Amino acid sequence: MNLMRFALNSLLRRPARTILTVSAIALGIAAIVALTSIAWGFEASWQKANDARGTDLIVTRTSSENTMPSPFRAEKVQVVLRTLPHVQEVVGLLSELLSVSADGPPVFVFGWLYDSYLWDHLKLSQGRWPTDDKESVVVIGALAAEMLNKKIGDHVEIEGKSFLVSGIFESNAVVENGAVIMTLAQAQLVTDKPGKVNVLNIKVDGSTNEADLRHIKQQVKQTLPGYIAITSGELVSKNAVVIISKAMSSATILIASLVGALVVFNTMLMSINERTREIGILLALGWQRITIMKLIFSEAVMLTVLGGMMGIFGGVAIAWGLEHVELMRGKIDALFSVPFFFAVLGLSVFLGICGGIYPAYKASRLLPSAALRHE
Amino acid sequence: MPILSINNLVLHFDDGKTRAIEGVDLEIEAGEFVAIVGPSGSGKSSLLNIIGTLEHPSDGEIALGNQHYSAIKDASLFRRENIGFIFQSFNLIPTLSTLDNVIVPTVGCGGDAGEYTARAESLLIQLGLRDRLGQFPGKLSGGERQRVAIARALINRPRVILADEPTGSLDSVNATQVLDILTDLVKQQSLTLIMVTHDATVSARADRIIYMRDGKIEGGATA
Repeated sequence: MNLMRFALNSLLRRPARTILTVSAIALGIAAIVALTSIAWGFEASWQKANDARGTDLIVTRTSSENTMPSPFRAEKVQVVLRTLPHVQEVVGLLSELLSVSADGPPVFVFGWLYDSYLWDHLKLSQGRWPTDDKESVVVIGALAAEMLNKKIGDHVEIEGKSFLVSGIFESNAVVENGAVIMTLAQAQLVTDKPGKVNVLNIKVDGSTNEADLRHIKQQVKQTLPGYIAITSGELVSKNAVVIISKAMSSATILIASLVGALVVFNTMLMSINERTREIGILLALGWQRITIMKLIFSEAVMLTVLGGMMGIFGGVAIAWGLEHVELMRGKIDALFSVPFFFAVLGLSVFLGICGGIYPAYKASRLLPSAALRHE
Repeated sequence: MPILSINNLVLHFDDGKTRAIEGVDLEIEAGEFVAIVGPSGSGKSSLLNIIGTLEHPSDGEIALGNQHYSAIKDASLFRRENIGFIFQSFNLIPTLSTLDNVIVPTVGCGGDAGEYTARAESLLIQLGLRDRLGQFPGKLSGGERQRVAIARALINRPRVILADEPTGSLDSVNATQVLDILTDLVKQQSLTLIMVTHDATVSARADRIIYMRDGKIEGGATA
């Protein structure tokens, strides 16, 4: 018999209340886990897509903070960029979120410059790549093929124009796996944005170091007013959707933490009110006040850790479920990590301690003689 | 030298409106069995609570051995090391087994858990509860419950046992049995037993009877 067993016994004595409290905490933790993992996953997924293409710097409009920055005319900017030292390739990219079938969900449609390095990281699993930028064909990601129920030789209709599915590819980035890709020329044609791109991808030569990259950024700032050269990480982190989703995740953490601490506070306060006599007995039997405090904290932390563990499983399940909802497939990729789970468990312990402070103090201050008279 | 010395003890409640104890002087020798008797409201339980450090006196001096109560820094620790309580209503924890109920006072003490368990088992066996170690209090008779409470009071090897109406909730057969066990154990271990009781047959077993009325000791007698 030790304090932990005694605390566990106290919780098991009131199973309904314990289950309700643990469930409430689990719900809050699940919301934290699901929303945070999705927010991080969203950011990581876009960054992974940009990184996978081998892009060193991205040039975009300074003020644009959309998921894909606002389109702009590329020719003049491209000419300037190609004159900068160490710049090897400057490649345009156009993207839209579009419906490609009558009953399917909207998907990302990317237009990539034909025969550019952007295509190199994709792994063709079936069919073939476009043979030139005049061909009305698309290649689709494995996940998009599944979502849209398309195979090689089928057609997809984009903005009223039919495209042959010539290939199915796989990518490490879920955003690309759930996307339809065509040549930039075809994308500009079908979206009625001739000569426009969302971003220009810059690939630098092998001798470029960090200082050179900073120099290129500075040159873009000076020679191309209204444009900015940034890394893929910077592009993603200034993305309004990423910022909003992270803010929502932070708000969820705050609200769920407050609710969790209040639930624990309420449960433990009710518990010590009901157990006033028992606490009196323990004090009479020689339990020190610090031991009573440890007991109440142990119970509170057990509730929150159990709720935290259930919440982690629940949050993973919710995120997994959301990833597989038709509308969200291929757009979000929840990111989980062991340190994150430990941080959530740490938060659970912290909530238990916060919620248990006053009840523990109150229990420890009971006068044994008065507590023993309590009915 | 007496084990317990009480001088001019006073206990007032409600700013002096309720006078529970009024100038009690008492000395109790080590190994003595003292019964405190008197009508309800006479201050018996209050006196027991002060001896057990559950209440602080309003005035007066009290000492257990060389330890003056006014100098006690941690009353809980003092209770654990010196006092064993036995209550009328047993006060066992219903969701703990008999064995665990006896071990409860050792929780948080540190020390060897195995040794505490062995000591608790030994006490319960001595009290005739060998077959009840894993039972919960709800499955025990009143007499058995009080025997568990006696084992619990003895687990930390106290110097003084304070018993508040220990047979008050028992029928006469169980009351006699519990009293026999308690007095035997107290004698074996040379403990001091201070017992509040209404029962004349119980007080008759004591070495000394203290009569209380209106917060004062009216007289004492050797049984």
